[in-house]
Amino acid sequence: MNYMPGTASLIQDIDKKHLVLLRDGRTLIGYLRSIDQFANLVLHQTVERIHVGKKYGDIPRGIFVVRGENVVLLGEIDLEKESDTPLQQVSIEEILEEQRVEQQAKLESEKLKAQALKERGLSVPRADTLDEY
Amino acid sequence: QSLEDCPLDEDEDAFQALGEEDEDIDQFNDDTFGAGAVDDDWQEAHERLAELEDKPVASREQDGPGGEDSDLLGEPEDTLAERLTRLVIDSELEDPAIMQAVQTRVPAQPGGLNSSIWDSSAVLRRIRGPLLTQEMPSVSVLDYALPQRPPQAREEERDPSERALPRRSSSPVIGSPPVWAVPIGTPPKQAAVPNFNQQILCPKPVHIRATLPQRYPAPYGERMSPNQLCNVPNSSLLGHPFPHSVSPVLTHLQRAQLLGGAQVKSLCPLCSAQAGRMSPSQFARVSGLVGSPLPSVNPKLLQGRVGQMMSPASGFRAFFGAPPAPPPSQPQHPPGPASHLQSLRPQPQMFRPDTTHLHPQHRRLLHQRQQQNRNQHRSLNGSVGDRGGHRSSHQERKDPYANLMLQREKDWVSKIQMMQLQSTDPYLDDYYYQNYFQKLEKLAAAEEVHGDGPKKERTKLITPQVAKLEHTYKPVQFEGSLGKLTVSSVNNPRKMIDAVVTSRSEDDETKEKQVRDKRRQTLVTIEKTYSLLLDVEDYERRYLLSLEGERPALMDERKQKICDMYDNLRGKAPGQERPSDDHFMQIMCIRKGKRLVARILPFLSPEQAADVLMATARNLPFLIKKDAQDEVLPCLLRPFSHVLYHLPLGTVTSLVQQLTNLPQSATASAPTNLHLTAVLQNKFGLSLLYLVLSRGEELQSSDTNTELMQDNQWTELMLMATRELLRIPQAALAKPVSTPSNLISLFSRYVDQQKLNLLETKL
Repeated sequence: MNYMPGTASLIQDIDKKHLVLLRDGRTLIGYLRSIDQFANLVLHQTVERIHVGKKYGDIPRGIFVVRGENVVLLGEIDLEKESDTPLQQVSIEEILEEQRVEQQAKLESEKLKAQALKERGLSVPRADTLDEY
Repeated sequence: QSLEDCPLDEDEDAFQALGEEDEDIDQFNDDTFGAGAVDDDWQEAHERLAELEDKPVASREQDGPGGEDSDLLGEPEDTLAERLTRLVIDSELEDPAIMQAVQTRVPAQPGGLNSSIWDSSAVLRRIRGPLLTQEMPSVSVLDYALPQRPPQAREEERDPSERALPRRSSSPVIGSPPVWAVPIGTPPKQAAVPNFNQQILCPKPVHIRATLPQRYPAPYGERMSPNQLCNVPNSSLLGHPFPHSVSPVLTHLQRAQLLGGAQVKSLCPLCSAQAGRMSPSQFARVSGLVGSPLPSVNPKLLQGRVGQMMSPASGFRAFFGAPPAPPPSQPQHPPGPASHLQSLRPQPQMFRPDTTHLHPQHRRLLHQRQQQNRNQHRSLNGSVGDRGGHRSSHQERKDPYANLMLQREKDWVSKIQMMQLQSTDPYLDDYYYQNYFQKLEKLAAAEEVHGDGPKKERTKLITPQVAKLEHTYKPVQFEGSLGKLTVSSVNNPRKMIDAVVTSRSEDDETKEKQVRDKRRQTLVTIEKTYSLLLDVEDYERRYLLSLEGERPALMDERKQKICDMYDNLRGKAPGQERPSDDHFMQIMCIRKGKRLVARILPFLSPEQAADVLMATARNLPFLIKKDAQDEVLPCLLRPFSHVLYHLPLGTVTSLVQQLTNLPQSATASAPTNLHLTAVLQNKFGLSLLYLVLSRGEELQSSDTNTELMQDNQWTELMLMATRELLRIPQAALAKPVSTPSNLISLFSRYVDQQKLNLLETKL
């Protein structure tokens, strides 16, 4: 049964593995089990994937219910192509460590930038508070 | 009395002891619920009911496990299945499979016996979920008149479904069946009816934990909740026809193992048949224990996608651990196309896993689901061919959690989405979508016509069309009210601000303000003209859709609008002449204005279009200067070329004149023709010039009988033009959009070979 051809309806995506990008920057991968008219999602066997450089780590999270407004995008994962990726999977601890290092480096650079701008009498452009990423 | 106490107190003594409290409680009842609530002795009722319970249990036990289905069918107290059937009827009205399956079972209303009161479907209806219909069956009060029955100390034999609450909702109605017969869903007042009350709280009939034979692993229900306690092993609480039924409940570990997708064999072929597409985990449990005589059935059972009705609550399984109870009783399957099932039933065993801890609605949904699975499985077995399409992929088969979202729910979401697409005028509401699909269809049609390629089935979404209803909304008016009440709503919003337009006098304004206002005026004009343009562009479509009689009117409208547009463009001059291009120039200075002109040109008459062209040519350097940033002028080239195609030579000549500003006026002292230079140095200008020249050449070559006068003019112009062209260095020449091919031939008439070559290189 072809649900709503030509539109972006999620009904055909049910029970398939999806990658969901949230507004706070998290990447979730799970089986889409249920939806509703607001695109609230129920993800099953969800895994939060953290990417740092060429490495990634998966944190199993179980079942997620995502409020629709927090989804940036989502896409079906081709199970056959899922495995051929140049990225390297590492353990959770390792990836969290990498992430922390990356965050720190970013903070440092931000601080330097702000400092430099201040010295030149320019103001730091404030990020929109609504969107974290 | 606390819940914990109730199940354990089954003595008559306890009964009596608490009797004294009854008086008070009856009084309280009276106060709370009114006189009609408590007008009979609950003890009597209880005894009567107990009697009722004994009879069916006894009869069932006589039948034994080998009982025929037909016997059970005939049983008046075939309560559980019956009720569930009725439940199914009520709530699953849409599913034809279920309807078919259910129709054959006439919900019997046995005269005055247990089933009438303790109707499980009533209970389940009480639980109003989004999926349940609101229907309440009619129950005659007389049904509540029960024959006297001796009290029953041990309640376990009772079918909990009979214990289920009757149809009355939580609050009693005066004149409704008496409380003793129809207890309201209040916590048990007396311990004397422990299981009775228990059942009320856990109205779902099928949560029995029958005894596990030794060879089965211990049930995980070590963590017995009070609810479970009343359904203690060895209790044939359900009183189901096969008391030796087994409820194999595996440990988590086992379940996990088996969930790996191992080949599953069903313990009870009957159950498996009934359960249809139960989760493999369920089967896994069973299979680990006893081999199934029906390997053939199982693969189909495991196949997910037959379809649809999976309870969303089934996802809870993982948490609660208990497998959802399979359909409660064997007698359920006989209806309809179940003959094949009968043959599959060597050993009637039922799982009755404990589901007391589940929310009533959840439990109901689970059983609903099983019901549906059962029915589907029936049809599955019956018509294998139909299901062939569903065995799409291996992966789907192994996915135990698939179809958590019921087909109905999917339809529901889809319905909502379709509702959002409702529109009275899709061309207005969803223009781009409509256009896009029109284009696609045209492409597809074209493809079809030309090539015999494979016809791509492109299913088009047909959006619901809603007829436009003429609503005249009248705000609510109150009679007899002093003054006019302000009633504002979505349809009738209240006027909050009285915005008055005050026109300022000319003297007060400064120059800048005037300029600004003028610009604003121009912008407003552009917008108005754009609206007219959109309407005019739409007329073609409307024309096709309209009736014959309406068409002339439409045409007139269209013409009128075109005239208006033109007037807007050129500025409505009170006099006949249009001396100033000023208005037009203002419009052309604005980017949107240029685009507007480009779009309007096709609709204008040749004269009007020529007029526009002339005006443009006349003021081209000015326009070029203004366009330096936007660079939108080239968009005018195409409509201009179309216009040119229809112009006579005279017009063309004057056009060239305008473009090149030749002959130059005497007062112009500069050796260079600034006008022409500017034109030549601009892409648009040069291209336009080429177009005009080419058109002229076309005309000349085609039509030899041109007037001498014009010829002279033309020739002169050409000579001058070529002179200028030669003078201008090549580097300064802009790159034209296209160089018409006949320019060379044009120039060849007026210049000699040498110069021609030079020109050639320049172009």
